[in-house]
Amino acid sequence: MSVHTDTLLDVEDLHVYFRTDTGENVRAVDGVSFQVQPGKTTAIVGESGSGKTVTSEAITQLFPSPPGYIPEGSVTLDGQDLTEISDDEMRSVRGGKISHIFQNPQGALNPVYTVGWQIREAVMLHQDVSKTEANERAVELMTQVGIPEASTRLDDYPHEFSGGQKQRVIIAMALACEPDLLIADEPTTALDVTIQAQILNLLKELQEERDMAMLFITHDLGVVAEVADRVVVMYAGKVMERGPVMDVFQTPAHPYTRALLECLPGEGGLGGIPGQLPEPTDPPDGCRFADRCPHAVEMCTEGGQPDLYDVRNTEAHTASCVHFAPTMDPGVVLDGSERVATDGRGRTSTDAGQPSDDEEAEHR
Amino acid sequence: MSRESSDQSAADPADSSTAAADGGVADARFEDVDWDRIDSVNRGRSLKSRIWLTIVSIWATAFGGTLFVRYVMGDSILSERLGPLQDALDPTVVEAIPLLSLNDGWVSFPVVGVVELHNWLWWITLAGFVYYGALPLYENPRMTRYYWRRFRKNKAAVISGLFLVVIFLIGFVGSRVTSQPEPEAGLDGIPPVGISTESYNVGPAGQKVADCAGGVCTGTWEYPFGTTTSGEDIFLGVIHGMEISMMVGLTATAASLVIAAGIALVSVYYGGWIDEIAFRWVDIQLTFPAFFLYLLLVYSIGGSMFILILIFGFIEWGGGARLMRSEALQRREEPYITASKAAGANPLWTMRKHLLPNISNTIITYASLSIPSIILAEAALSFLGLGDPTMVSWGQLIADGRDNLANLWWISTIPGIFLFLTVLSFNFLGDALRDAIDPRHEGAE
Amino acid sequence: MKWYIAKRLVWSVFAALIILTIGFVLMDVVPDQGLQQVEFQAQTEGQSGDQAVQAYEERRGLDEPLIDRYTSFVTGFVQGDWGWSYEYQQPVTEVITDTLPYSMMYGVPSIIISTIIGMAIGLYSAVNQYTKTDYAATFFSFFGVSIPNWWFGIILLVIFGSFLGWVDLDFSHRVAETADGDLTWLGTADSSHPAFIGENFEGERQIGILSPTNLKQLILPTFVSMTAGIAAMMRYARAEALEYVDAEFVKTAKSKGVSNWRIVVRHILRPAAVPLSTILVGRFLGLFLTGSYLIEVVFGIPGLGLASYEAIINQDQNLVLVTLLVPTFLVLVSNLAQDIAYVVLDPRISYGDRT
Repeated sequence: MSVHTDTLLDVEDLHVYFRTDTGENVRAVDGVSFQVQPGKTTAIVGESGSGKTVTSEAITQLFPSPPGYIPEGSVTLDGQDLTEISDDEMRSVRGGKISHIFQNPQGALNPVYTVGWQIREAVMLHQDVSKTEANERAVELMTQVGIPEASTRLDDYPHEFSGGQKQRVIIAMALACEPDLLIADEPTTALDVTIQAQILNLLKELQEERDMAMLFITHDLGVVAEVADRVVVMYAGKVMERGPVMDVFQTPAHPYTRALLECLPGEGGLGGIPGQLPEPTDPPDGCRFADRCPHAVEMCTEGGQPDLYDVRNTEAHTASCVHFAPTMDPGVVLDGSERVATDGRGRTSTDAGQPSDDEEAEHR
Repeated sequence: MSRESSDQSAADPADSSTAAADGGVADARFEDVDWDRIDSVNRGRSLKSRIWLTIVSIWATAFGGTLFVRYVMGDSILSERLGPLQDALDPTVVEAIPLLSLNDGWVSFPVVGVVELHNWLWWITLAGFVYYGALPLYENPRMTRYYWRRFRKNKAAVISGLFLVVIFLIGFVGSRVTSQPEPEAGLDGIPPVGISTESYNVGPAGQKVADCAGGVCTGTWEYPFGTTTSGEDIFLGVIHGMEISMMVGLTATAASLVIAAGIALVSVYYGGWIDEIAFRWVDIQLTFPAFFLYLLLVYSIGGSMFILILIFGFIEWGGGARLMRSEALQRREEPYITASKAAGANPLWTMRKHLLPNISNTIITYASLSIPSIILAEAALSFLGLGDPTMVSWGQLIADGRDNLANLWWISTIPGIFLFLTVLSFNFLGDALRDAIDPRHEGAE
Repeated sequence: MKWYIAKRLVWSVFAALIILTIGFVLMDVVPDQGLQQVEFQAQTEGQSGDQAVQAYEERRGLDEPLIDRYTSFVTGFVQGDWGWSYEYQQPVTEVITDTLPYSMMYGVPSIIISTIIGMAIGLYSAVNQYTKTDYAATFFSFFGVSIPNWWFGIILLVIFGSFLGWVDLDFSHRVAETADGDLTWLGTADSSHPAFIGENFEGERQIGILSPTNLKQLILPTFVSMTAGIAAMMRYARAEALEYVDAEFVKTAKSKGVSNWRIVVRHILRPAAVPLSTILVGRFLGLFLTGSYLIEVVFGIPGLGLASYEAIINQDQNLVLVTLLVPTFLVLVSNLAQDIAYVVLDPRISYGDRT
C-alpha cells in the first residue's frame, strides 16, 4: 500500500450489491480497494459492466437504495468513514467536499430550471450566502468554465445550451463549493470528439488551479494516459491491476490490462477480447477473467480472486494475477506479448504525461 | 454498425416471406425461377387460417342474418322507418332458407335454437381469443415459457389469473346448465347459509325453506347466498352475473380493439386528411366523460345486452386508437415497412403483417386497462337500472338490495364482493402482463 | 405561444359545437315524454290524439323545419335557456342551481383532500420505490381503482349505518336549509324545522351546511369519493414521478447535496407537475363526475348526479341532456386550461418565442 499520510480518499475492500426480485445479489462491486491522493488524478478503467460507475457512486452513496446496499468495506475521506456517517453529514459531503460530473450532460440538468438557478442552488446549499452573492458566484463560475456572456446566459434554460456547454455548466456546478475531490464519470463520452479535448483540458486546468483531487472514470485508455497519475483497472467488480500510470502503460501486468491495451486502435489489434463478462449474480471461482484469459492455468479457476501481487517488486504497481505470486514466473504473461508491450511502451513511455497530438487523434 | 444492422432488419421480412416458399430455388438465376409456382404457393393459405376463415365466414353470415331479422324484420325503431322494405320481405323468405326458422322474431338454428345477438359477439370473441391468443402461445412453447417466467414472479397476478379462470369457467358452464334465477313470491329475504335474520324479513314460503325458530331465521344450503327481495336465488344470480361480466368486458373490449386497431392503422398508413379527421373525432369523443356518454346513449337507444356491448365497444376505442396510433407512427418509420412497400406488398398486407404485430404490445396493454373499466361501467349501468332488464347481472342484484340495507344487507354485499374481486384481478393481471411484455416498465434488475 | 392558444380556443369552440349537435340529434331521436303525455291525456279524455300532438308541437315549436329548431336549440343552449324540467316543474337552470350546492358539499373537500393526499403518497412511494411502503401504497391504489365506489358506499352504509348505527341511512337535505328551504352556512332552528319532523325537543338545534349533523352525514360520501380520487391521483403521481426519479438530473441534484425532501419537491415534483396537471385534471374530473353520480344515488344526496339520475328514470329529457352535457363542457374547458398551463409552465415547449 502507498503512503497513508498522503491519502485524501481511501477505498478499502468496498462491496456494493443489488438485490433482485428473486432475492439474488448482483455483485456490482465485489471488494475494491484504491486511494486518491490530494491534488492528483486516479483513473478507474474498465469496460461497461465492470462496476466502475457503481464504485464511483458508492463513494457518496448515490446508487439507488434499495435495491443497492454496501454489505462491507469502507470509504475514508480525510479520516472519516463515509459508509458510517448520517444522511445529513453525507449531504454536506456531497457537493461540499466531493462533487460529481456525470456521463450525459443532456439529462444531467433539470430542464425546468434556468442554469443560474441550478448553480445557485449548489452554492447556497453549502455556503451561507445571499441570493445576490450566489448569483455573482454563479457568473464567476460560468466565466471560469468558459461560457461567454455568463451574466446573460444565467437566465437561460438547459435546452438553450449545446452539449459541450451543458457539460461546462455541470462542471461549474460541481466546482461551486471548492470540493477536495471531483469524481468525473466518463465526462467526455457523450460529447463530440472536438469538444472532448476541450473539456478534458478544462478539467486539467481547473484541477491545477485549485489543487483538487480527481477520480476519473473511463473506458478510454487514451484519456487515461492524458489525465491520470494513477490507474485502477477493474473487471467484473474486482480490481485487476493498479499502479502509477507510467508503470501500468509501460509494463501492463495483468492479462486483462494487456488485452485492453491491445484493443487500442494504435496497437494493431482490433479483434477485441473474446468471451463475455461472467454472471454478476454467481461469479465463478478463481480469477474473474480466467475463462477469457490466454494465460489461464488450472489454479486460476480455484479459490477467490488472486491477491494483488507486486509487479517487479514495486509496491505501487500491483496485479491480481497468480502469475505474479512470489512463487510464480511473471514471464509467462509478460513474455508472450512483449513485442506488443514494447510497441506500446515505445510511445507511452516517452510522452505518457503529455501525448502528442497525432497520438491523441489515433486513440479516438 | 447501426446502419448495417438496420439494413439487415429491413431485408428480413421480405426474406422470410419468400424464403418459406422458394424451396430449392435460392441459387437459381432470376429467369430460371418458376415465379408462377412461387406466387401460387404464396397466395395459398395455411390450413389453420383456412379453418379460421371458414369459421369467420359462417359466423358472419349467420350473424348478419340474425341482425337482419331482428332489426329489419322484427320490432324496432328501425323497422318503422324501413316499413316498405319490411313489407316486401315476408317471414317466409327466412323460412325458405333450409334449416332456418323464425321463432318469436328471432332466427332459430337447428340443434342450437335461437342464438341471441350478444351471444354471436361473445362466441366470436372467444374464438378470436383462442386463435390470436392461446394458439400462438401453444405453437411457440419457448416464447410461452419466457413470458411465463417473467409473469410468474408476480404472485398476486398468478392468483388473480387463476381466480379469473375459475370465475370464467363457473360462469360459462354454470349459466348454461342452470336457468336464470326467477322471482318467486314468498321466497324473498332468505339469508345466506349460516346467517340469521329476524323472521319478519323472510317471506312466508321462505320461512319453510330457511331454518326458522323463535322469530329468527337462519339460511340453509338450499339458497347458499340467500334470496333477493323478489325471491330470486342470489347464488344463481352470481353465477349468471359471472358470465355477463366476463362477456361484456371481453366482448366490448374485443370490439373496441378491432375498431381502434383498424382506424389507427389506416390513419397511420395513409396519413393526411384521413388521419386528421379520425383523430380529431377521437379528441371530441374523449372529451365526453365515458360514463356520461354511456348514460346518454343507453338512455336514448336502449340497453339490450347487444346494444350495451356495441355502445361500450364504440366508445372505448378512442383511447386505444390514440395509443396504437402513436406506437404505429414510430413503427411506420422503421425500414421493414419501407422494405415491405418496396417489395410491392399491398397496403392491407403491410398493415396486417408488419404494422399490426409490432403494435401488439400496445394492444395488450390497452386491453388490460379496458376490460375492468367496462365491467365496472356495465355494473354501474345495471345498478342504475339501465342494463339489460332480461338478464341478471351483479349490478342489478346490488341495486335490488339497496332499498333495504338495514335488514337485507347481504343482497348488495355478496354480488359486490365478486364484482370487486373480478375487477381487482383484472387490474393485477393487466399490470403483470404489461410488466411481462414491456421491459420498459420493469424495475432495476 | 399566442398562436397556439388561439388555435386551441378555436378548436374548443368547434368541439363544443359538435357536442351540442350530437346532443340535439339524440334529443330529436328519443321519444318526447311531454308529447306522449299530451297524446295519452287527449286519448283518455276521448279527444283526438293527433290533434293534441299537433297543438303540442306548435306550442313547442316542433313543427318548424329541422334547421330552425337546430339553430334555436343551439342559441338557446348558449344563452342559458336550457328548457323546462317536467320532473321538477321548473326551468332546468333552476334545478341546476338548486342541486349544485349539494354536490359541492362533499365534492369540493373530497377533490382537495384526495389531490393532496394522493400526490403525497404517490411521490413518497416513487421516491422510495421497492420499499414495503411502496408496495403497500401500490396495493392500496389497486384497491381504490378496482372497488366500485358506489358499492363501497353501500358497504360502508351497511357497516356504519345498519350494524353500528353511527350514521343515518337516509340523507337529510333539510339539515342544511333554513325553515324556509334556503341554504345557510350555520344557524339554529327549533323543533318546528322540517328537518326535525317527528322529534320533540326543547330549545334550538344547529342547522346549516356547517352544522355537525350535516357534516356527519357528509363524512361517508366524502370518504368514498376520496378513495377513488386518492388511488387515481396516486397512480398518476407515482408513474409521473418515477419518470424523473431515475433521471440524471435527480442524481446530479443528489450529488450536489440536495436533501431528499427538496429533491422531491423542487426537482421531481416541479418537472412532473406539468404532465401531471395535463393528464390529471381532465380524467380526474371525469372520474369525479362519474363517481359522484353514483355516490349521490347511493347516499340519496339531492345533488346534480341524483337529479340527472331521476331525470333519466323519469325521461325528463331536457334535464338529462343538460346534466350530461354540462360536465362534458367542463372537461372541454379544463382541457383547454391544461393545455395553456402546459405551455406556460414548461420552458421546453416553446422555443424562442417566450416573452
